[in-house]
Amino acid sequence: MSNKTILIVDDDPDIRLGLHTRLRANHYNVIFACDGMASIAEARKHMPDLIILDLGLPAGDGFNVMERLKAIDNLSLIPVIVISARDPSANRERALKAGAKAFLQKPVDNAKLLAVIRKALGEKDLTPHAVHDLGEV
Amino acid sequence: MNEKPVKVLLVEDNPGDARLLRIFLAEAASSTMELTHFGCMRDAVSHLQGNEVDVVLLDLGLPDAQGLGGVRQMHSIAPGVPLVVLTGLNDEITAAQALQEGAQDYLIKGQIESHGLLRALRYAMERQRMQVETEQLRKQQLQLKDEFVSHVSHELRSPLTAIYQFASILVDGLAGELRPEQSEYLRIILRNVRQLESMIADLLEVTRVQAGKLNIEPQATSLRDAIADTVRMFEGSVAGKGITLRANIPADLPLAYVDPSRVRQVLINLVSNAIKFTPKGGEIMLHPRIFEEDPCLLVMEIADTGCGIKPEVSKMIFERLYQASDASEDGRKGLGLGLYISKELVTRQGGKIWVTSEPQKGSNFFFTVPIFSLASLISPILTNELKLVDGIVVLLVEMDSQDGSLSPDVRIEMSNVARTLLQRCLLPDLDVVLPKMDSGNAQELFFVVACANKQGAEVLSKRVREQFRRCEQLQRARLTFMVSCSFLSPILRRVTEPIEEFAEHVAAGVQEHINTMIEARSVST
Repeated sequence: MSNKTILIVDDDPDIRLGLHTRLRANHYNVIFACDGMASIAEARKHMPDLIILDLGLPAGDGFNVMERLKAIDNLSLIPVIVISARDPSANRERALKAGAKAFLQKPVDNAKLLAVIRKALGEKDLTPHAVHDLGEV
Repeated sequence: MNEKPVKVLLVEDNPGDARLLRIFLAEAASSTMELTHFGCMRDAVSHLQGNEVDVVLLDLGLPDAQGLGGVRQMHSIAPGVPLVVLTGLNDEITAAQALQEGAQDYLIKGQIESHGLLRALRYAMERQRMQVETEQLRKQQLQLKDEFVSHVSHELRSPLTAIYQFASILVDGLAGELRPEQSEYLRIILRNVRQLESMIADLLEVTRVQAGKLNIEPQATSLRDAIADTVRMFEGSVAGKGITLRANIPADLPLAYVDPSRVRQVLINLVSNAIKFTPKGGEIMLHPRIFEEDPCLLVMEIADTGCGIKPEVSKMIFERLYQASDASEDGRKGLGLGLYISKELVTRQGGKIWVTSEPQKGSNFFFTVPIFSLASLISPILTNELKLVDGIVVLLVEMDSQDGSLSPDVRIEMSNVARTLLQRCLLPDLDVVLPKMDSGNAQELFFVVACANKQGAEVLSKRVREQFRRCEQLQRARLTFMVSCSFLSPILRRVTEPIEEFAEHVAAGVQEHINTMIEARSVST
């Protein structure tokens, strides 16, 4: 199975732990950052295969993080999935245009999240129905 | 005190009365009031259009405007200007009605004296100012309330996420094995998480409905797809409950003219309700078809074999916050917003929603939506003598943003601006702008069908290009536009062919053309 590394950027420790547990159970390596600044540093240090990014963050919000990632050569190609509690009608398109592969609203269904991650990583999807209503993904 | 003189507009046809009022006003406040006088409504109206006026004194017996008619006319021309009416001694009823129509005060001729007049004018202005202020305050408070609800709802999602994550981690055995009861209780937590989530979504939607912020963009929409999505979405929950959910879709079901995501939303609302109230072994059937009573509409029927609805409440269920008093079998009420939202969505798309039901046997929910017809959109421009034109042109205007940062709200606003602009470039009897025809494109595409020859098409595209280039609003949003134009191969109308049939013919050609254009775009992006 997968041995890819995912960087989780969220300022809520409970959500970080929850995601960590879920992703570890699916054989991903997980690293964390709890604000915008740290996320760039962690990404530089570990070169993750994927970034799961919250929008409301201290020290540079999610949009800011995506902008900075884009400007850094070897980080600009890392796929980003935005997971936020914010209103999709006001943020989905903006996030996609800023470079996110997908916008998922909290709480995100586990099966949906894993399907989106696999797709973003270019892995084989084992649950063919899980992605049907993701639209922009 | 206020240094600027108050501008009083007097509209009075009786020179004697006018003279008297002028004298009264001069006596009371010659330096602070500036009187302008007209003898008829027409002159007063043209004065109001070019000049600032602080308060109007209006006689109710003018040669060109009598009684309440005058009040209404004045109010519609200068809605923000306080109005004091002048009436005769025996006309207090009219005066009272004038107040209801928006006048601030009335004065009875023959009883006016200088200080009373001054007080009435000042009082009228003050009351007007307070009304404006109150209205502003009310709007502000409504907006604050909406923002508050929206903010709170979004904040609720974060703790809900943590609850969902950990309950599902436990249920999936990621933290060790569970006893059967433990699994069951965790599933109850998860079910309630989902319910809370959908309540939050409803709350936000209602706020949007009430603030008039519902975005509805009708386009050619396949109900078949919407139904397939809905059925797939509920596959798990109907199987779990032992219910069958089926669809009976006529093979030749026409496209609907609705917003696809909004029609899905209604379907999801109605089906999830049906599931809630249908017992094990029951059946839910979705049956769309052409509406028997009006062939321009489609009707969607959602029939269940649930507990049914008593006739006396079948109208009330679409009201806001209505909840069934005999709750569903899981003993749980929702917020009572789902059907209200559905009704708003259906009504705003030109349809109706209703229910027929037999208690203990089941309910049949119906809603109607307009049928999409390219032919009926095009046919108005074809009724002209078609011999006069050499052909049909499909014009494509493509809107895109330069820096890729267009929020959905701005996008919708700008696409409305673009539509209006486009409309202005056209000849309404020869050209027509089609509704949104593509789905899921990164750019916004607008299609125009025009009756024109080559030269006419060139003139039209040039005019469109120029209008778009000059529009400041679009420039400010940093949008780019591309205009392209293509001819339909000539379609000849047979002498005996009725115009409707011919329109169908042309529409088919146009549709084919548009499909090719849309395909070309999605390949290039």
